[in-house]
Amino acid sequence: MHLVRDVLDKQLLGNDEERMGKVDGIVLSLRDGRPPRVAFLETGASVLARRVSRRLAEAIEALERRWGIRQGPMRIPWERVRTTGTDVGVDVDARNSSAFAWERFLRERVVEKIPGAKE
Amino acid sequence: MQVALGIVTSIAGFVEVGSISTSLQAGATFGFQLLWAIALAATCLIFLIEMSGRLAAVSKHTLADAVRERLGFGYHVVPLTAELIVDFLVLAAEIGGACFALQLLTGIRFQYWALPVALAAWLALWKGTFGAIEKGVSLLGLIALCFVVAAVQLHPRGRDVGAGFLPSLPQHHAPNYWFLVVSIVGATMSPYLMNFYSSGAVEEEWTEDNLVTNRLTALLGMGFGSCVSMCVLIVSAMVLHPEGVKVESFEQGALVLTRAFPYWGFLLFGVTLLVECFGAALEIGMNIAYVPSQALGWNWSENVKPSENARFCLVYTAAIFGAALLMLVGVDPIELTRFSMAFTVLILPLIVLPLLVIMNDERYLHEFRNGWLANAVVIVIVGLAFVLALVAIPLEILGGS
Repeated sequence: MHLVRDVLDKQLLGNDEERMGKVDGIVLSLRDGRPPRVAFLETGASVLARRVSRRLAEAIEALERRWGIRQGPMRIPWERVRTTGTDVGVDVDARNSSAFAWERFLRERVVEKIPGAKE
Repeated sequence: MQVALGIVTSIAGFVEVGSISTSLQAGATFGFQLLWAIALAATCLIFLIEMSGRLAAVSKHTLADAVRERLGFGYHVVPLTAELIVDFLVLAAEIGGACFALQLLTGIRFQYWALPVALAAWLALWKGTFGAIEKGVSLLGLIALCFVVAAVQLHPRGRDVGAGFLPSLPQHHAPNYWFLVVSIVGATMSPYLMNFYSSGAVEEEWTEDNLVTNRLTALLGMGFGSCVSMCVLIVSAMVLHPEGVKVESFEQGALVLTRAFPYWGFLLFGVTLLVECFGAALEIGMNIAYVPSQALGWNWSENVKPSENARFCLVYTAAIFGAALLMLVGVDPIELTRFSMAFTVLILPLIVLPLLVIMNDERYLHEFRNGWLANAVVIVIVGLAFVLALVAIPLEILGGS
């Protein structure tokens, strides 16, 4: 498997096939005398922003903490990866995970206050 | 039935502020001479739309999905940003077109219509489903066929019309001529049409069984759509060109139907412009939410309640009211359209080039990958797009005024 070709930037699908972001980053753990191994997949605006600008990423993380949205990006242990290919399926309850932190925040604070949002 | 609906949808999607205003200008300034540009751009579009639909039906991924996943965020960030800017400008131009139509019909200045039009568009997206919006826009959009009726009633000479399909050099106003070619390509090969079409195919849960429908819809739908655009040009060439009218505002263009329909031509033009621009605003509004949602992997669908897709709905909400603000401060919709069409051509190579990689990827398309003809066409389109992109800005400066 090629990590960049087959995993990075692919669609993440949760348990119920819910779209829960793209694979925005891959975290490797280095081991003495042995090849590195994949520890986590990361998803979230700040991980993606880090690929463009470190300062932008820090600004997003600061905003997310100040507004109580989440404490950093979502990390999914590699052991939870079910499938790879055109999509990456993971064993995660997407809607209740921090991948949906912005979705929940905007739904509760903005969208549900607009008439007709729940119908 | 599905093909018929697809064709009707395509006609409505094809005819909007960009194609109406560029066809009016082309016919008024150069007679039938620029018909070839519409035919060429429409032929390219047929191939691009077929590929977008095939990608969605086979892989369940839209174009924006596939570009990010296959070419990575480092590449995608450029066309993604460019497409969002173009979509936003075109959305503002469509809202502006609808507002101008209301000004023609009521006499009340177009700025006053910006917020009501935006509110109506937002409400349709907030409460509607993909299918309901598509069917509504499509059926109302058939009013554009009045241009076909007008073109037939005016009895253009077949030889003159036929000559327009052969590319020829202009005898006067060369920069303006080539700028109109760029604008026609920009208005016809809108990036939003490709992603919107593939998003629609995913919304409607197309599978490999829909590939024949997809091919027929692309061919006949875009074919008929371009026929309507050509009829706008023909009517303009027969009515406005002999009078020496240059279409610099919609008021000048509004007289175009009065010879074929003496009593209600003006009203018909206003209603057609209103319906087509409003319909296009709904489609672009949806697409402007589809593109970032798909690029970032959010849950997206026009078929669920807003509270279940908060990010998706807030993107189109912000875009629609932001675009209306441009009209509210008095930006001229025709000028904005002219600029957006040139900008569209500028980004076209970035949008089309990834198709060469994606449409040949076995993991996405399995045995339905591009054949040699489709690949050759993509290469030709990319080449054409590169040339047009290089000349778009110099021509905008020389010929756009």
